[in-house]
Formats: sequence, structure tokens, C-alpha cells
Amino acid sequence: MQVLLLNGSSKDDAFSQQLCDIFVNELEKHDNKVEVIELCDTRIESCLGCFGCWVKTPGICVINDAGRDLAKSVVQSDLVISVSLVTFGGYSYEVKKALDRLIPIISPFFKKINGEVHHKPRYKRYPKVISIGTLTENKQELIDTFQYLVKRNAINMHSPVYLSRVFLNNEAAQGLGQEVFEVLKEAGAVK
Amino acid sequence: MNKRALLLIGSPKPASSTSEAVGDYLLDKLRQYDIEGEKIKLIQILKQEDGINELISAINNCDILILSSPLYLDSAPAIVTKAMELISNDRIAREHIKRPIMLAICNSGFPEAHQNHTALSIYRHFANASSFEWAGGLALGGGGSIDSRPINSLGGMVRNVVKSLDLTASAIADGKHIPEEAIKLMAKPFVPHWLYFIFGQFGWRIQAKKYGAQKNLNDRPYEVN
Ligand SMILES: Cc1cc2nc3c(=O)[nH]c(=O)nc-3n(C[C@H](O)[C@H](O)[C@H](O)COP(=O)(O)O)c2cc1C
Repeated sequence: MQVLLLNGSSKDDAFSQQLCDIFVNELEKHDNKVEVIELCDTRIESCLGCFGCWVKTPGICVINDAGRDLAKSVVQSDLVISVSLVTFGGYSYEVKKALDRLIPIISPFFKKINGEVHHKPRYKRYPKVISIGTLTENKQELIDTFQYLVKRNAINMHSPVYLSRVFLNNEAAQGLGQEVFEVLKEAGAVK
Repeated sequence: MNKRALLLIGSPKPASSTSEAVGDYLLDKLRQYDIEGEKIKLIQILKQEDGINELISAINNCDILILSSPLYLDSAPAIVTKAMELISNDRIAREHIKRPIMLAICNSGFPEAHQNHTALSIYRHFANASSFEWAGGLALGGGGSIDSRPINSLGGMVRNVVKSLDLTASAIADGKHIPEEAIKLMAKPFVPHWLYFIFGQFGWRIQAKKYGAQKNLNDRPYEVN
């Protein structure tokens, strides 16, 4: 599988970094091709909300920076994994900045999904998604919001499979390896 | 001393936005109750060198914090997330802070107001984590119909938005939370679904024509065969 990993960990977040390393190790052990984007070292401007990616240069963001490469990599991957601190039940700024730049990969036109209006897909296929959240405290309310958000995003981004896990910052490294393996297995990336 | 309301605009659009149009209307209404109003665009202030300190001092001076923001991927736009992270970290680090009330208005492109609910949950969690008293959230579907225009210029189409904001202003001025009735009125759709689809189909084509891109709307620049 071609796998894209969005590493949203900040310099002082050793736990998320450790999680990313475990993912990469496990994926490579099973012959996946992994591209990692270190979000805090990558200059990605925030989406301007101009919809130029739909009406001016359809499918391509008007901002010419690494956000374009990101959108391209997402479309060309089989699986996209993001690792983000859960902030107020959502993604952290670094990760959200990257995700907001993905609307060029869907169509401006509408279709109904489960009775609601959403955008049509632009491409024939989209990657599976694993969204990993990390938290310092076990707050169920935040975990519920994060997992619901991942589910809602999967509808909008036409993800054929979406999985989310929230890890607590104090989990033992040994247990982490097993959990990472399980979620990758569910996504079909390891056997 | 009069109470002070601070309106934060979460849309990254540099000029006008639906978030601002709706927020402006509410701020004007609050002024009628002798509440002082100040407005800050997050995208502008966070670009300034000392912007974050300016933002934080405005928050520390307010009694009512209003966030008006578009829905981006079922949640807060990146710029709002950044502001929330910075504000929250600052408030957690301070010992003595006021506890203003906070309300949020979220407007989505899709017509169903309930698509804003995840974002409103995020804003509620932010309020709770950052010592604001959560006064509730208003979800507005089909924000594109307002299209950044002043609410007062839109006539009957926005009658429920107007009623909702009037009720909200009166309750907030009274020190209360957003009333249920205001939440329901704001969530009422402007146009039936089928009309929304037709607008959508033509709207994007008309906009694309300006750039000579109307034939390319379905391009797949990153497709691999
Ligand atoms: C990056 C991006 C993501 C968006 N995601 C959603 C979404 O998940 N659901 C939705 O209904 N509208 C979505 N929209 C549409 C905006 O919420 C809508 O256009 C809104 O009215 C803009 O408000 P503003 O003028 O205040 O910026 C998105 C727009 C952008 C640019």
C-alpha cells in the first residue's frame, strides 16, 4: 500500500512522535511504502476560503505551496493516517491547517448522502483514513466529539474506510505497538 | 459601567463574510441594549506581530465573547483552532481571570443546520476548558445564501435569522443564555433542498465562467491511471 502519514506532533510532544515512529516501523515491516509529512516543519498556508480550487483552477489550490503536494499525495495514497493532539475535541491547528487544504480534491457539485447534502467526489477513488488523536487526560466527552468528527469528515471526503483511535499520553509503549498493529490490520495495511 | 461584547470573526476571507454579516447584526442589536461592541477578525489580528497579546487583552476586557465562524470540514477553520489554542493556553496560565460568557454562531455551506453541531461541540469544549461560561451556539445552514451581505439588506429571506438574533441579543443583554426558540429559528432552512441543488449546479458554473474554467470543473489533475 501507498501510505501517507501526517505527523501533527509538535516539538515538545514526544508521545505523538513516538506513535508516528511506531506506525512507520510497523508499516515498513509489512512492505508498505510510507511518505511522512512532518507538519510542524512544512510550510502550509491556511485555506483562504476563496473556492478558487473549484472555480478558477479546478482541483488545484490557488496557493502554490506544500498544501498542493499534500492534496496530490492524499489522492494518490491508499491510506492516509493523521496523528493529532485532540484539541477541544477537534484536530490541532497544525493538522487542521493541512486538512482544510484538501477541499480541491472534492467536487463543488452536490449529491445526497444519507438524506443530507454533501459534495460529489472529484476522483474515482479515495484513500482509507486512520485518524489518531492523543490526549493527556481521559475525557470521554472530547473522545466522543473527536470520533464523531472523524466519521463526519469521512462522509465529506468520501473515505471508503475510516478508523479513529484516541491514545492517552501515559499509555505504555508496549501496549501501543499492539494497538497500532490492530488498527493497521483493520485498515488492511498489515497481516 | 456598560457591559462589553467582543465579536471574533473566524472566517479567513479577507473582506466580508457571512460570519461577519451575521456577527455584525448581533453586535448592533446588543448596542441597542447599551452593550459596547468590538470586532476582531482572527485572520488579521493573528498576522500582526503583537496580535495575540492584543487579542488576549481584548478578551480579558470583555463580558460577552461571541465567535462567528464558518464550518470547515465539520469543525473550526484552522485559524479559529489556532486562536482557541493560544487563548486557552493563556487563560489556563493566568490565576485571576474574569469569566465572560461565550456564545458561538456557526454557518455552513450545506443547508442542514445540524451539520454545524460538531463544530459547536468543539466551541463548547473550548469554553469549558478556558473559563468561559458557555451560553450556547446557533447553527445556520446554507450560509452561501447570505453570501457575505448585510443581514438588513436581505429582506424576508432572512426573517428567521433576524428573529433568532433579536431573541439572542435580548437574552444575552439580560445575562441569560441563548433561548431554545432562537436556536430553532436559526436552524430553519432558507430554501427547499431541490432549489439549493439547482442554485449549486448553476452557481459554480457561473463563477467558473469568469475565469474561463467552466469546462474544467470536473478536472482530476492528480489522478493516476
Ligand atoms: C476548506 C473549507 C471547508 C468547508 N467545509 C464545509 C463543511 O464541512 N460543511 C459545510 O456545510 N460547508 C463547508 N464549507 C463551506 C463554508 O462553511 C460556507 O461556504 C460558509 O458559508 C462560509 O462562511 P464565511 O463567508 O463566513 O466564510 C467549507 C468551506 C471551505 C473553504
